[in-house]
Amino acid sequence: MDHRAAAAEAGSPDHPLTRVIDRLAPLLPAQGPLSIFIHHNTLHAFEDRPFEEAVEHAARQLGREPFLSESRYRDKLAAGRIRSRDVEAVIVEHLGVRGDAALAGMVSRLDLWQAIVLYGFPAATGPELSWILQETPALSRFRTDVPAQARAALYSFGERADRAIDERRAVRRLWSACLDAVSRAGEPLLPPAAAPVRHRDWLHAVRDIDTDAWIHPPLIRFLAGYLDQGLAHWSMPERHRGIHGCFLEIYGASLAAQCGAWARTLPRLVADDRAAGRSALDSIANSLAALGVAEDEWPEYLGAELLALRGWAGIVRQIEERPDRVPARELTVTLRGYLAVRLLCERAALDEAARQLRFARPLAELRSSLGSALPRRPVPTAIERAWPLFHVAQLCGVDVSIVDQWTGRHVEELEAELQELDGVRRRRILHQAFERTIRYRLYDALGHHVPQAPPDAAPPAFQAVFCLDEREESFRRHLEEVEPACETFGTAGFFNVAMYHQGVTDAHPRPLCPVVIRPDHYVAEIEPEGDDFSGRTRRLHRRAVGFLGYNVHRGSRLPVRGAVLMTAFGWLALVPLVLRVVFPWLSARWSRVHKTTTTATRTRLQLDRQDTAPPIGAYSGFTVREMADIVRRVLEDIGIGGRFSPLVLIVGHGSISLNNPHESAHDCGACGGGRGGPNARAFAQMANDPRVRRQLEAEGFVIPASSWFVGAQRNTCDNTVAFFDDDLIPSGSQPLFDRVQAAIETARRREAHERCRRFDSVPTWYPPVAALAHVEGRAADLAQPRPEYGHATNAFCIVGRRTRSRGLFLDRRAFLVSYDPSDDDDGAILARIMAAVVPVVAGINLEYYFSYVDPTGYGCGTKLPHNVTSLLGVMDGAQSDLRTGLPWQMVEVHEPTRLAMVIEAAEDRILRVVQGSPTIERLVRNRWFWLASLDPGSGRLSELRSTGFVAHTPEHPLATVVGDSAAWYQGKGGFLPPVAIVSGPGGDVGQVRSSA
Amino acid sequence: VTISLPLTTLVLIGVASPAVLFVVLGGASLVNRPLSERWTASLAGASMTTAFLALVLALAVYNPSSTGAQLLSYGAWSATDEGGVAIEFLVDRLSLAFAALSAAIAGVVSAFSNRYLHREPGYHRYFVLLAMFVTGMLFIALAGNVTVLLVGWEFVGLSSALLVAFFQERPASVSNAFRVASVYRISDAALVSAAVLLDHVAGTGSTALLFGGAGAPAAVGLTGTTATIIALLLLVAVVGKSALLPLSGWLPRAMEGPTPSSAVYYGSLSIHAGCFVLLRAAPLFEQAPPARVLAGVLGAATAIFAGMTTRVQSDVKSSLAYASLTQVGIIVVEIALGWYTIAFVHLAGHACFRLLQFLSAPNVLHDLHGIEDALGDRVSGHRGYLEGLASERVRRWLFLIAVERGFLDSIIDRFVVEPFTRLARFLTDLDARLCDAVLPKAGVVRVDGIEDQDD
Repeated sequence: MDHRAAAAEAGSPDHPLTRVIDRLAPLLPAQGPLSIFIHHNTLHAFEDRPFEEAVEHAARQLGREPFLSESRYRDKLAAGRIRSRDVEAVIVEHLGVRGDAALAGMVSRLDLWQAIVLYGFPAATGPELSWILQETPALSRFRTDVPAQARAALYSFGERADRAIDERRAVRRLWSACLDAVSRAGEPLLPPAAAPVRHRDWLHAVRDIDTDAWIHPPLIRFLAGYLDQGLAHWSMPERHRGIHGCFLEIYGASLAAQCGAWARTLPRLVADDRAAGRSALDSIANSLAALGVAEDEWPEYLGAELLALRGWAGIVRQIEERPDRVPARELTVTLRGYLAVRLLCERAALDEAARQLRFARPLAELRSSLGSALPRRPVPTAIERAWPLFHVAQLCGVDVSIVDQWTGRHVEELEAELQELDGVRRRRILHQAFERTIRYRLYDALGHHVPQAPPDAAPPAFQAVFCLDEREESFRRHLEEVEPACETFGTAGFFNVAMYHQGVTDAHPRPLCPVVIRPDHYVAEIEPEGDDFSGRTRRLHRRAVGFLGYNVHRGSRLPVRGAVLMTAFGWLALVPLVLRVVFPWLSARWSRVHKTTTTATRTRLQLDRQDTAPPIGAYSGFTVREMADIVRRVLEDIGIGGRFSPLVLIVGHGSISLNNPHESAHDCGACGGGRGGPNARAFAQMANDPRVRRQLEAEGFVIPASSWFVGAQRNTCDNTVAFFDDDLIPSGSQPLFDRVQAAIETARRREAHERCRRFDSVPTWYPPVAALAHVEGRAADLAQPRPEYGHATNAFCIVGRRTRSRGLFLDRRAFLVSYDPSDDDDGAILARIMAAVVPVVAGINLEYYFSYVDPTGYGCGTKLPHNVTSLLGVMDGAQSDLRTGLPWQMVEVHEPTRLAMVIEAAEDRILRVVQGSPTIERLVRNRWFWLASLDPGSGRLSELRSTGFVAHTPEHPLATVVGDSAAWYQGKGGFLPPVAIVSGPGGDVGQVRSSA
Repeated sequence: VTISLPLTTLVLIGVASPAVLFVVLGGASLVNRPLSERWTASLAGASMTTAFLALVLALAVYNPSSTGAQLLSYGAWSATDEGGVAIEFLVDRLSLAFAALSAAIAGVVSAFSNRYLHREPGYHRYFVLLAMFVTGMLFIALAGNVTVLLVGWEFVGLSSALLVAFFQERPASVSNAFRVASVYRISDAALVSAAVLLDHVAGTGSTALLFGGAGAPAAVGLTGTTATIIALLLLVAVVGKSALLPLSGWLPRAMEGPTPSSAVYYGSLSIHAGCFVLLRAAPLFEQAPPARVLAGVLGAATAIFAGMTTRVQSDVKSSLAYASLTQVGIIVVEIALGWYTIAFVHLAGHACFRLLQFLSAPNVLHDLHGIEDALGDRVSGHRGYLEGLASERVRRWLFLIAVERGFLDSIIDRFVVEPFTRLARFLTDLDARLCDAVLPKAGVVRVDGIEDQDD
């Protein structure tokens, strides 16, 4: 029976319901378990539409916001973050030839739109409008914030003493003229109101009964318990039967009727399902029939049903699709199982609602019986219709005599225009203008920036390869400022080493590669001298700490053990409490010291292919051939071009913070939400391997014997840089390594300093040393909800040679990918770079976009009440839908703008690459990110539009700052435009020069 | 009763500094001039530190060998022949220790909240409520008469409900706050009744007489049925405040506020306020064996219920809430058994430990991974020993009860809330019908903004 039940839940692919569910599932949030956070486009399901259309459509369907609110954009207009010329340019482009048409015989459409978008009008209806008319000077004074020519036209009365009375009279005349004009027009056109879908929506709209509020709490408790990955001590029984099967077992008891008044008939419905031996799909079909939902209504009804608790439904779908990403892999988790359970609960609740309403007929007839009682959308009154016209007249400077001549046709024409230019359209235009401002600044900076002279034949002092992450932009810039003789590169931070990695102290292997790849290779970190005395002591010590932690964690929740623990040792908790909360920096130091007693001292990566079967993946380790391919590919990608320094650093990154459920969201996106140190280490070990070098040499790719690769990991939170296997560095390079370490030490201090300028709690006078101590404290602070700002403010991606952007201050906003167009005639390298980079950077950028424009809808709101549940996600407070997206504390300093990607390559090569990949083509065609070409030869910039590449005309000058980055950012908050930073004589440090 | 001057002053400083903080922050809110974050944090830090130092010093200065408990009087607000409202603090080792502990914990939480709530729109409001809460806790700890106790009790209850509703824009948090507030009202009503009755019987509301020593209740003739009734009323108050059975349902719902407020209220201090009052009233309970037995039974039942419920909770805050409740139940049992010292040590240790656990609740993923890595194995997938003892059918049953939290809320909804709302609705209807019958129909007043088009 068990197996049959579980098998039945597995479902058949041909069932019509399976197809419906599969089509609906992409609407759900696609966020997996929180401990492996992967940034993705929140609206992935809508990528086949143009961006603007997609966000507006999704906003309607999902009940979310497409853009920021109009007032936010208006604030940006006032603050100069959006320029009015950008708004005008966007409207001109938007309207095209339609812009010239005259409306209501008075003004061109272009002028009307510009006036409305730039100046806006207070939309108001009903009591709010009455209040405005009664209590504000709206009917006694003209608006003062109108275009100059409109103002001139309106203020025809002179500068006399009784001017106020005159003005009042004029305003009143205009208002009554508008009212008269409305009276000449026909009935207003009303867009049809959408009818409710589910029974619950009908009940809620008509009778104010919310059955969801009844069934969601127990449903959430059941789901959370079912999906639990190890938080509960006693896990749910009967979980092997699948969601639906398990529910039938547990909620079949008559006791289940006690779940609430709504659950009266639940045991009966459950027993009915059991007696009929229904599978999940059968149960859904049965429930839908009982609810009177015909087959052609299934998609709409089930879609609404899924979206009612979308976070939980989404995680169910995620686990169904990628069961390898959760610890409890033995569970059968299916969306159809969830739907079947949900519908059972819903039917029980509707039974109760029907009982309360004394509705005795079957549930199938409930909706039609409520149909007549649906409240109708109110028809706008004359005042409500006159109000916008009144503002149009003021904004366009239309005299009352013209308004008097408006015919009914004119009024309808204007109303149709205003309906097209509704709030969403205005926000869309303002948003496009906002993006245009930001994007063009970057284009102009790149266009004006004089590339530093290409390095001569001699290799630089040392080289460093970083992740393309925009948080490395500042680190690289500071490193280059500290050591002008060095050269830096950027590439996807898994360094093409796709593997399952298991550290010496890791309980489980973890995939370290972009999420689209399922690694074949397993790599373990080993302790070559693990059996000596100190190794054993450390292992023992580690075990003891774990054992203690485990027993405290569990024991504190048990009655007797807990009582003993609390009575005897409870007060000891004050020590870590005070240390972690009041002196976080100190506790960071202490835990670092403590860590040295538990972690292995000297380890190596087991990279060579072993014959043993790996615990996960297909192979243990890599063959020399595979290693050579990996090494060659990355070095070709970054365009190192055979110029190798004696030391080449490979720097991965990760982020470690406390009390942060979203910790993993700060890790490396290219490592699938993991930390990239092991990848960097593996890459360096491969590149140093003499067998690999011989292999490459045979293929004509020579790495000189004098070069040595060193792997490292940067912690982007506390800014520490840890080197791997530095004991293997040839003694000849040791002095250089010392110099490298010193440079990194200075760079990380300066980088911390630059980063601190975005933290409100850091005074601007802090010197770099204090800033570094501050970020170290942040990482260890239990009370810190924003250990770092992660990818916030990301806006650009530059693919090309570093010389193009070196010396530009990009404010930690640009993903930097190294690519040398001169070595890539067929575009093959660009194509593979794009394939790896675009999903990662677009995913990060778009997730930040959506979490910022609708922080509680697409994002997961403020962190403060978050409650980690089932080890899978967070809920708000005691209980809520599972919250997906990014918390407000992560995105609060962001600017929601689509990524502007500039590629240093000829236009036709970019087009070829884009057309070669359907996924990239779709994103580019629908403008989910902007794409521009920076011509390698001429330095000419052109942006890809629907008509092809369009040459960019510079609008912003590029300022030059003499000195270092600090000379530009010191003491400034907020966003800083790009500037060129040139080192100069000490005398004029910080001086800003403007150059066109 | 001799009163040493330094002790009087120290206790006054200890209690007054959070009260002054409350007045300053609350006053700033009242005149709509909330202080900046920096100012609020500095003031709160200074005030909490002062309170803590003063109370620790008081504990050091206090000499238990002289007279036992001392009643410090700070004058009366109003005095009549039959008594009045006096500000009196009862000082002994128990009250000073609990007050110092409260101040210490409040200090840590205020330091925590300063960073945790940075840039939050409700930052200032949060600190107003925190100051109110700390004042209330110190009043409860040091209460020298029932009036002071009541004021503290109300401060704690009100700030608690308002912090549960901290995120006012979310319907769930507001409705849960209402739930918490209504249970608190039951508890408050019981405490007020106990106070009135006490005043009526003993002619005084002094906790010194009531709680001061083993013989005190007997000395004013507070024995037998009267003692039992008062003790039972106190017990109801304690049951509400400390979420004992059958009023445990509100506790997990109270997890709506910011993490530090959940920690300090339901992990650390407020949840123990009931236990502390039981400790204070121990002499009274000794005169009232039925109440004492009932307290023990409720404590034990709560411990068993919460211990079972916490095992199945799959979200970290509910799991911790029921884990706290388990210990609270055991502490109540210890008090009922007369193990006062153990109970207090248990209470203090639990308050510190659970605070740490609650504050680091968001760290649970990080912590469990750390434990797994150190142990080299998965922590999940365990099944407790006790569950294995039951048959499969019973196990399913128990699980359902535990996951539905004993159905406490739905039972209360059905037998208390629903009849009550039905009655209220009936009365509203009646009222409307009566008014309609008596009053003339009034025309609908409508404002449409065009009446005065031209002057």
